[in-house]
Amino acid sequence: MDDQALKTTLRSLQFSAGFPGDVIRQLAAISSTHEIDAGDTLFREGDLHEKLYLLVSGKVALKMLVPGRGEVCLLTVGLGEFLGWSGFLQQTAMTATAVATEDSKLVATPTRQLNDLCEANPSFGLQLTRRVAQALSRRLLATRLQLLDLFGDTPMAPPSNDPQLGRG
Amino acid sequence: MELPRSNLDLSPGAACRTNSLANGLPGPWDVQTVSIGDIRPELSDVATYDLEFVDAEFAERYELQPGQFNMLYVPGVGEAAISVSDDPLRIPRDGRIRHTIRSVGRVTGTIADMQVGDTLGLRGPFGQAWPMEECADRDVILVAGGLGLAPLRPVIYSLLAQPEKFGRLHLLYGTRSPDSLVFDKEYDAWKKQGLRVQSTVDRATPGWRGDVGVVTSLLNTLREFDPQNTTLFSCGPEIMMKFTMLMAIERGIPVERLWLSMERNMQCAVGFCGHCQLGPAFVCKDGPVFRYDYISQFMNIGGL
Amino acid sequence: MAVGDRADQANELPQSFLTKDAFRELFGVLAACGYTIVGPRVDQEAIVYGELESPDDLPIGWTDEQAPGEYRLKKREDEKTFGFAVGPHSWKQFLFPPQSRLLTANKEDGTWQFTNNDEPPPRYAFLGVRACELAAIHVQDRVFMGDNYVDPIYAARRTGALLIAVNCTEAAPTCFCTSMNTGPRCSGGYDLVLTELDDGYVLEAGTQVGAEILSELETTTATETHLASAETARQEAIDQIERRFNTDDIRDLLLNNLDHHQWDDVAERCLSCTNCTMVCPTCFCSSVEQVSDLTVEEVEHQRVWDSCFNFDFSYMHGGGIRGTIRSRYRQWLTHKLGSWIDQFGTSGCVGCGRCITWCPVGIDLTQEVDAIRKSPKEPTGPQPDETL
Repeated sequence: MDDQALKTTLRSLQFSAGFPGDVIRQLAAISSTHEIDAGDTLFREGDLHEKLYLLVSGKVALKMLVPGRGEVCLLTVGLGEFLGWSGFLQQTAMTATAVATEDSKLVATPTRQLNDLCEANPSFGLQLTRRVAQALSRRLLATRLQLLDLFGDTPMAPPSNDPQLGRG
Repeated sequence: MELPRSNLDLSPGAACRTNSLANGLPGPWDVQTVSIGDIRPELSDVATYDLEFVDAEFAERYELQPGQFNMLYVPGVGEAAISVSDDPLRIPRDGRIRHTIRSVGRVTGTIADMQVGDTLGLRGPFGQAWPMEECADRDVILVAGGLGLAPLRPVIYSLLAQPEKFGRLHLLYGTRSPDSLVFDKEYDAWKKQGLRVQSTVDRATPGWRGDVGVVTSLLNTLREFDPQNTTLFSCGPEIMMKFTMLMAIERGIPVERLWLSMERNMQCAVGFCGHCQLGPAFVCKDGPVFRYDYISQFMNIGGL
Repeated sequence: MAVGDRADQANELPQSFLTKDAFRELFGVLAACGYTIVGPRVDQEAIVYGELESPDDLPIGWTDEQAPGEYRLKKREDEKTFGFAVGPHSWKQFLFPPQSRLLTANKEDGTWQFTNNDEPPPRYAFLGVRACELAAIHVQDRVFMGDNYVDPIYAARRTGALLIAVNCTEAAPTCFCTSMNTGPRCSGGYDLVLTELDDGYVLEAGTQVGAEILSELETTTATETHLASAETARQEAIDQIERRFNTDDIRDLLLNNLDHHQWDDVAERCLSCTNCTMVCPTCFCSSVEQVSDLTVEEVEHQRVWDSCFNFDFSYMHGGGIRGTIRSRYRQWLTHKLGSWIDQFGTSGCVGCGRCITWCPVGIDLTQEVDAIRKSPKEPTGPQPDETL
């Protein structure tokens, strides 16, 4: 995908849509597109993987290896969502394995160059970091909703010893 | 000056009536006998019951709008408010109404132990329905969680009965785990009839190839709809519906096109007993279907 | 309708006078018409409402002394029959009984049959209905008969009930009917209305039914002196009302202040005992219960009074929605004074003051609202939408 097409793609994705023109231009300049087939692994839990991804089409499952349970799928990432923030945040390793569940297309941005760009241009850095924080916040909320087990069996035991209660 | 006849003004323009019949309704406490015609297990604690009216004449007159509920009465145990989960067009034809019931309390637990042929009581239908007229010529998104798919199933049947009247139709369904996907055997048929179905689970089991994550994420990534010309209905746990509404607003759907179905302790179903109040709204008669912009001001206050 | 508005109208209608002796005949006339007479009587150290068999059952020479959290019966120095305010009972127990049978379920040949309660209702004559109580009856009329579904039990008892009203000639310190525009003068909705004088009653009919009853009594035309005395007596009640309650924009005031710290304040005092809801003449909450025989083949589906102050009132599988006294008190007050207006077009409060008198800790709802009004929109702590 050429630079112009990349810019158009970035403008269409939720994560990057609101960025000003110069941010889009700079992002496009260091990014590239990446295509993977269903079943391909994008990165592994524990790897040092220095790329940030935005999903343009398809679906990617995030899994963690739990001793005794095997690989547990925690989350499916869909259109417009991002993956692989660990490199951008300069953390040591990926916290999950990412496997495509459908043929997928992504925008890939090397995090070392991205961080250089942020250092050189603090305003760009601030906007990008803000957007990452928002996306993480949304991911956190979604995780909490999963954690709440909203569809689970009745979590609290009703005070059923009282003969007045328990009306059906 | 002419004195009024009595101390209660029952003139045509006055507020009070002597009975529900004057308003074209049966008495609020009129109970019909129904017998269990068929029981279909859905999940470990959920089953669908076909309830048949013993009085065939009453069956013919019974009119259901999608989203309404009945009070099912087990004498000696009590009543439970159960949404009807059936095709509105089928009911007068077959004289049976389908209810999908989870066993959570004494009444539903007793029903769960019943057999085909057993009888119970039915009062209804009650409540405000899903506004199907809001769907005409629009894209429609149904967001369901857990057993919240049951009160939305009548909407699905109604949409698929005349798909040309509507735009693109989506069902986004989230539940706990793959073994709690309800009505999953119908998804293929619905897809064939024009409903785009996506499902997701909170926690995967080995072998699950579908999506994992909350159902609001499916709404976040959904394409193929025009936010400015979309109506959204949601039913499920209150927190799930709340965040679905917030996500819908974020996606650009006007707040007047967002509807949800609320649940509260219901005993009379007609606004007399006071149990189901949420702010000024009686969930039984002003709801259970509400437009989000009205009910949100009360939903978001803890312990109201 | 504001207090005194009816005065002009009333003067156009013929008013009659009944001596104390002639008043006693009312009982015979009502009985002959087939009414069960219900009215005030002394019982359990209070003036309550019950069936009256003779005029001697009335609380002649008794009055009440009321204050927040206090009620005392006191002997009067005169022999006034209606010389008291209101007691713990209201007329709602007769129209909306504390316990009633909705329907019966019978198992016949293994199949449940359901029969509605079609017992003929009692035909009541309410003797001594105060202006605030007339207002309360009208409020409950709207609840039970004013919407799509009509409650057959209430409707059966209400239509055909005879309302004999009495104008108050004194007020309790807890009364605030003037602030709620419900009294103390009766302005409509009665069959007959009486104003008690030392030697008898000035009365007038409000309906044709009332006029028919009136025609059976030995009345004379009320003289100018009678009318003046009656006016003086009614004015006494107005003058004695001390309590003022500002109800300007009360619905918005309450519903915009659902997080006010005053709710925490009152929650420290409120015992959630449900007294206020029991004595309130407009509270209508109920629950449905099962009463069955040993074989569970004959079951009564019953309705019984309940209260939003009960812990399990809002119970849903998992737990109660209103788990704290704070949220339950807030529900009661915001409903009574605020959301009731959304639901039924009127306030749920008629200013009778019973809830103030019968609250064991003397909570005064007018003061609770005043406290919110003095400092509106002061939320406590974090807002519920925080995601962190």
